[in-house]
Amino acid sequence: MSATASPLHYSEEELLSSGSFREPLFANGVRCHGGFDDEGRYCSPRVLFRNPAINAWQDRLRQGGDTLFEISPDLIPPVHPNVAQAKLLLQNGVREPIVRALTIISIVEGFGAMIRDVKVPDLESLLVEPIHGTALAHLQRGLFEAHARDESGYRDEGGHKQMWEAARDAALENPKIPGDVLMRLMGRRDQRGRRKPLFPEIGEDLERSLGFMANVLVVEVMAAETFQWGIDLLSDPEISAAPEEAGGMVENIRADEKPHVEYLRTALSEVAARTIRTVDGKQISGKVVIDGLLHGILSEVIKNRRSDQRDDLREGLEKAVQVAAHPQRLLEDFDSLEFDWTPPSQTGFEASEAA
Amino acid sequence: MKVATRIRRSARVGRTAVQLWLRYKAPAVGRRLSGREPASAAIMNRRHERTADQILKLALSMRGVMIKMCQAVATRADMFPPEFIEKLKQCHDAVPFQPFEVVRAVVERELGKPLDAVFSEFEEQPIAAASLAQVHAAKLHDGREVAVKVQYPDIEDIIRTDLNNMQRVCRIYEFFDPQPLELMPLLKELTTHLSYELDFEREADCSERVLELFSDDDRVKIPEVYREWSTKRVLVMEKISGIKITERAAIEAAGLDPADVVQDLMYIYVRMILAAGFFQADPHPGNLFVTPEGQVIVIDFGLSKELPEGFGLGLFELMFSLMTFNESAMVRAFGELGFRSKSGDDDTFLAIARRMVSRSDSGSFEGEFTEEMTDELFAAIREDPVAEVPSDFVLVARVFSFLSGIAHTLGSRANVLRAMGASTG
Repeated sequence: MSATASPLHYSEEELLSSGSFREPLFANGVRCHGGFDDEGRYCSPRVLFRNPAINAWQDRLRQGGDTLFEISPDLIPPVHPNVAQAKLLLQNGVREPIVRALTIISIVEGFGAMIRDVKVPDLESLLVEPIHGTALAHLQRGLFEAHARDESGYRDEGGHKQMWEAARDAALENPKIPGDVLMRLMGRRDQRGRRKPLFPEIGEDLERSLGFMANVLVVEVMAAETFQWGIDLLSDPEISAAPEEAGGMVENIRADEKPHVEYLRTALSEVAARTIRTVDGKQISGKVVIDGLLHGILSEVIKNRRSDQRDDLREGLEKAVQVAAHPQRLLEDFDSLEFDWTPPSQTGFEASEAA
Repeated sequence: MKVATRIRRSARVGRTAVQLWLRYKAPAVGRRLSGREPASAAIMNRRHERTADQILKLALSMRGVMIKMCQAVATRADMFPPEFIEKLKQCHDAVPFQPFEVVRAVVERELGKPLDAVFSEFEEQPIAAASLAQVHAAKLHDGREVAVKVQYPDIEDIIRTDLNNMQRVCRIYEFFDPQPLELMPLLKELTTHLSYELDFEREADCSERVLELFSDDDRVKIPEVYREWSTKRVLVMEKISGIKITERAAIEAAGLDPADVVQDLMYIYVRMILAAGFFQADPHPGNLFVTPEGQVIVIDFGLSKELPEGFGLGLFELMFSLMTFNESAMVRAFGELGFRSKSGDDDTFLAIARRMVSRSDSGSFEGEFTEEMTDELFAAIREDPVAEVPSDFVLVARVFSFLSGIAHTLGSRANVLRAMGASTG
């Protein structure tokens, strides 16, 4: 494929295209996306034009004097159980909670494919400033579709869902999947009910699509901690049957996820740098809306994520440890490995909320 | 049941079976002997229509298992042509009811006391009638309004006779036909389902199990069973009123958003099927209502089913792979669910997977498993040499296509993934 004429404008086909690989990636017998170059380095799929495109859109944003926001890594709660706790359970033959956690991670990764169903309303008419040559103009022209394919696979290639499953199965030698995985997943994710609109003045469709993107961005940012947890755990030869393969697989997933974070924060920053037309003919600063959405989501996540994970694990832990030789002592040891984490008092997106 | 009645029922079934067999086989033999091409699709379609019509009329006049058999056939788009499916669907709505005196006799015999001793009021006209039972509104002496489900007298006997007749017909058909449709597994499945539906004590257990599953969830309303007045053939339940789930205008007039109703309905079924592995398998619009507060009412647990361990996850994998265009994951899911190809290799499933994922014009399925997708999947299965389709899959696919139909009636989409909490935006 020939290089694109302009660094700011890409066709869908370009944004979905990959470079050539010397060798495709197979994970536990499953053909996955991406592959290895001549030096044996992993190459992510669909980044041949996507990465340069994102860089170009970010440069343009900065050159225009606008801000490319960042979500502070301090906001990311540590994973529960932490690596030491997970390792302790596995070393004592208590596999079920870790197998469940890894399976839920794989399913949630797969759910990322729903981004291809997001209906972005006509931004040209909803934003005062033009969006020509931005990430925003490419969301439904390749960016969402590439993201969806990365997460859940496409045609004959597996995606991150299948890669997490492969890492789990390689490290823990094809473990039995607990029958309550979907019940636990649904129980956790469906308790908070429907979210009320924060900005009814911008219209339901626009808030829903921006909210979805902001939510996915936060999930992707939070996943950084999960990737490190997965790498540290699954590449540990004391508990992993295939430390190199399993740990390497999570490394590959982490590499693939980088463009997701980057295009989403670019697109949302582009909205923040613009003005939104309201449904009643007035205008509202894009920054107020984006900061408000991010602040709401981040506040909820840093408040609930860790306790959700702890509650989830605790629900079946006492039963699960019964397979160990000394269940009570194991629970005490498990609890002693816990460390405190105090959520930051601010998300970094408060100022505009008050504006 | 009298011997003469048994003989008469057997004779009618036998006579119809012979007529149908001749209708299909005689022309085929004639064409072969005269060297003509096989009958065209148009001729076969007309033949199917005529046959389905004859079977429907027989079922409505004989009732009992014949109606159930027609209902079962109407759900097997993987085995029967569309003309059968369309025609025999009518069996869900066209069942005549029994007179009140017959009902009274059953209730009094089952409860061991006069009707008046239990109920202060009992509506003579039923509020619903089905193939095995009908339902009457009534009131207990303490003022509670109840729905009383009463099994038809002699229905077990009728069913036994009809099942024996059908088994004989199927065996004879399989003996004479060189390439028979595999009807015996269908009959076996029907026998199992009928045994469930005839046991109202089992139905009460199932109802309570689902009630427990949603005990902390105010989006769902399951009627309470009053055990003290219930038996194997009479079921007395809390009477809950609501808007029929397909009545969009009434739902909107109550100030409810039909899209929310659809999402709650999907949540209920996804939680039952995929997560709990136990579900009410009959979500037709007559069994689903909405309270003015927006709670979804689910009734009639006669056909409730426990799924094998791991089936829910396997099913999720199959649906998810379809919705995300992942052919290789779909092939693996077919295997995990117990599908078997005649050749024993995966090529059959790969072809089906490719056919399914190429269906979307928009590049998206939006988390939905529609009636059209089910039909397409079953058409692919019918045309390709799939040796074994798990019967649980057939039942579940039917449930999801029913739900999709309800969603479309309400102007919405039955998004399975959102029901699982996949979208939080």
